[in-house]
Amino acid sequence: MGNHIKTEIQEKQVAQKVIDQYAHLAADLIGEDRVSANEADLLSNCRDFWPVSNIWMLEGYVPALPQLVVWPKNKEEVSQLLKLANELMVPVVPFGEGSGTLGGVVPVNGGVVIDLKKMNRIISIDDESLMVTVESGMNGALYEEQLNRAGYTGGHFPQSLRCSTVGGWLACRAAGQFSTRYGKIEDITVSLEAVLPDGTIFSGRSVPRTATGPRLDHLFLGSEGILGVITAATLRIWPLPEKRLMDTFTFAELEEGLEAIRLIMRSGARPAVVRLYDAQETGHHFPELGDKRCGLILLIEGNEKIITAEREVIKEIVSRYGSVDEGEEHVRHWLENRFNVSVASKLFQKGAVLDTIEVSTNWHNAFSTYKVMQNALMSLEGTMLASGHYSHVYPDGAALYLTTVGFPGEDKVGYYKRIWQAAMESCLAENASISHHHGIGLHRGQWMREEHGAGLDLLMRVKQSMDRNEIMNPGKLGIAEVSKWPK
Amino acid sequence: MAKIKKVDMEQLLNCALCPNLCRCDCPVLQVTGREAVAPAGKARQAALVQESYLSWNKELLEAVSNCLGCRNCTLLCPFPDLNLCDELLHARIGEKKADINLPEWEPYLNNLKKYSSPYGRKESGMAEVNGDKVDIVYFAGCTSLANNVNSVEMAKKLLQKADVGYAMIEEDCCGYPAETWGDMDLVSRLAEENCRKIKDSGAKKLVTSCPECWQTFNERYPAWGYELEVEVVDGPSYFLGLVREGRLNPHSLDFGKISYHDPCIWARTANMVDEPRELLGSIPGLEVIEPYASGKETHCCGGGRMFQLSFPETAAAVAARRLNDFNENALIATACPFCREALQGEKGQVFELIELLAKACLDR
Repeated sequence: MGNHIKTEIQEKQVAQKVIDQYAHLAADLIGEDRVSANEADLLSNCRDFWPVSNIWMLEGYVPALPQLVVWPKNKEEVSQLLKLANELMVPVVPFGEGSGTLGGVVPVNGGVVIDLKKMNRIISIDDESLMVTVESGMNGALYEEQLNRAGYTGGHFPQSLRCSTVGGWLACRAAGQFSTRYGKIEDITVSLEAVLPDGTIFSGRSVPRTATGPRLDHLFLGSEGILGVITAATLRIWPLPEKRLMDTFTFAELEEGLEAIRLIMRSGARPAVVRLYDAQETGHHFPELGDKRCGLILLIEGNEKIITAEREVIKEIVSRYGSVDEGEEHVRHWLENRFNVSVASKLFQKGAVLDTIEVSTNWHNAFSTYKVMQNALMSLEGTMLASGHYSHVYPDGAALYLTTVGFPGEDKVGYYKRIWQAAMESCLAENASISHHHGIGLHRGQWMREEHGAGLDLLMRVKQSMDRNEIMNPGKLGIAEVSKWPK
Repeated sequence: MAKIKKVDMEQLLNCALCPNLCRCDCPVLQVTGREAVAPAGKARQAALVQESYLSWNKELLEAVSNCLGCRNCTLLCPFPDLNLCDELLHARIGEKKADINLPEWEPYLNNLKKYSSPYGRKESGMAEVNGDKVDIVYFAGCTSLANNVNSVEMAKKLLQKADVGYAMIEEDCCGYPAETWGDMDLVSRLAEENCRKIKDSGAKKLVTSCPECWQTFNERYPAWGYELEVEVVDGPSYFLGLVREGRLNPHSLDFGKISYHDPCIWARTANMVDEPRELLGSIPGLEVIEPYASGKETHCCGGGRMFQLSFPETAAAVAARRLNDFNENALIATACPFCREALQGEKGQVFELIELLAKACLDR
């Protein structure tokens, strides 16, 4: 690199002569136009949307740098590139569009980034069985757009839809805003195709269910690049919904709203969107509703007769909890603004530290986890806001999503660590799971032991058996400590 | 000397710190797959240079220059005042400019310096006056003159048929390619020459067929500090006016299905999406069908910011992507010499509106 930009958590780098050798051989395999040590490419593939990366960027640092970026066009090329990396023991980080929020793509040990964006096609659509096979590097919004043009929906709308890839969704077990009807990505997945570090290409069978031993392709769901590279997937799709119904209700207390949505799920009704906000977030997202009551927005879609019946069931349930029917306009407002995250850019420039923390609860601890985590965050010096909502609900529980903003002064990274420490410890104390859909990445790996207990040892053994040379995405999922990023 | 706007660091950082909801709409990112040319990727590099954490080199300059100026990223951008294309441009040509050029630009920049056109030597003697009183200057633009001189001839015949008093001047490039390639001295020279010649013509209006020229005369000249003292009018609206006034009367064309490709500047900057359609609709016999992305949501053809010259592979890939939006049985019409050039290919002939209008008004 011509410039010498500072890195904050670069643990190590591969010897330059090894990288040069890799680059030379990779160029022979896939062409030199798709192998780059260009400074612009290294700087751009070194990070995701981890708030710490933004804090450092404003101070002129990057977290760590890769030494090479490669762009395979198909699974065979991924296989060749991984095999070569395995032989030369070069670390590999798979990269989609970098929308992760926990540093999951930071190349702490340098090495090679495999950028999958040139693998961006829908391979086939099976109308009869309602499945699509798609390459992992396809952008989410373009995926949904192409499905819509063919008369389907993929049913998966994460807030990152427009800035994430299908492979990224799979690698971190993503959730979309319509997940209560369509499921999280692991529910939408039929099968996966992946390449192992030794170059082996394998895929699961694209049948609805099997009883042929564990589904090993599903092992890659949530694997965050530590086991290999996801190259394609067969996913469930749905015909575009016939009709949508939208409703907003408000409740005097958050607990009343929670009880109502628990009973909605228990009734068998399956709205696509269920979002229950605390009073603070209700006032923020829907100013016309005020900040004294808790807003619930619901969107039901599908066959008109079915959803009309679902709406009747839902209205009867919410009416038991003193709800006020606020009409459908607020849902329309949410639909129009649901991808907007502009406030983050503005707050970072004003010196704030902002983050979102999502955890998974059962119904018995859904409210208590909210209270305990909110209190823990608010007790930290510098915290201005800690608000929450529930945005993915199930018969057995819900996802709790907290947003926190603080103005800590100079020590922004220290404050960032303190909010996570407070949030994770209080979450674990309530026996909730530390992540619902953002994944673990680099930063949340520090609580994987508390989350999994002996299960983390099992994950390590799986990792060791599949990736003997430990080349795949070092430092992620809590597998190995990153000494320059202590708790 | 032409002035350059200061980089708005707040806006540049808004983009650099954003996860980029616009990524799906950036044609350069989508065809290259390079993070370095993603909107936030470019904004981060530009911001780091502006803050002196990095210095320009060819690699950074090449990445930050990989912007078509299509403003497709504005469709989903949550920052209404952010014009990333211009911020990136100002970052590399402004106060903290890059003192280097890309080798890809050199031959065309040399042409521009020598011949006042990026395409090289022009035919001289193009200046002419039609009629006793000069109402307009018709500014053909370098790209039409180099690649589709027929459209210029057709425009002149249409103006004659409509009895418009017009002048053609010995054109110098409007100056926008020189700005794109960072030579502000050359921008000044070209702008001064054009201002003088247009003023000397005595016309009250300047009509341009090329959206880049229109944007340059309309927006860039005032920003650079040059005053034209004429009304700048876009070609489609001007010729539509002649049809509405009954000065041009199109006859039927038996062309079947045809789709209009909205050039980015006309649609997103000039907010002109109805006029070209009305002009097309004034020609009987055409069955006009919309492509997949149209109006303000049009997809770029790959021709912006002189990409066809400096980054031809990327330009071709963007054009191929755009062609997928069209019904394969439909002809394509557009109102931009860059778009016409970019979309010409295996799928058949692409017409400029002016050519279709000329066929409908003159060919009988």
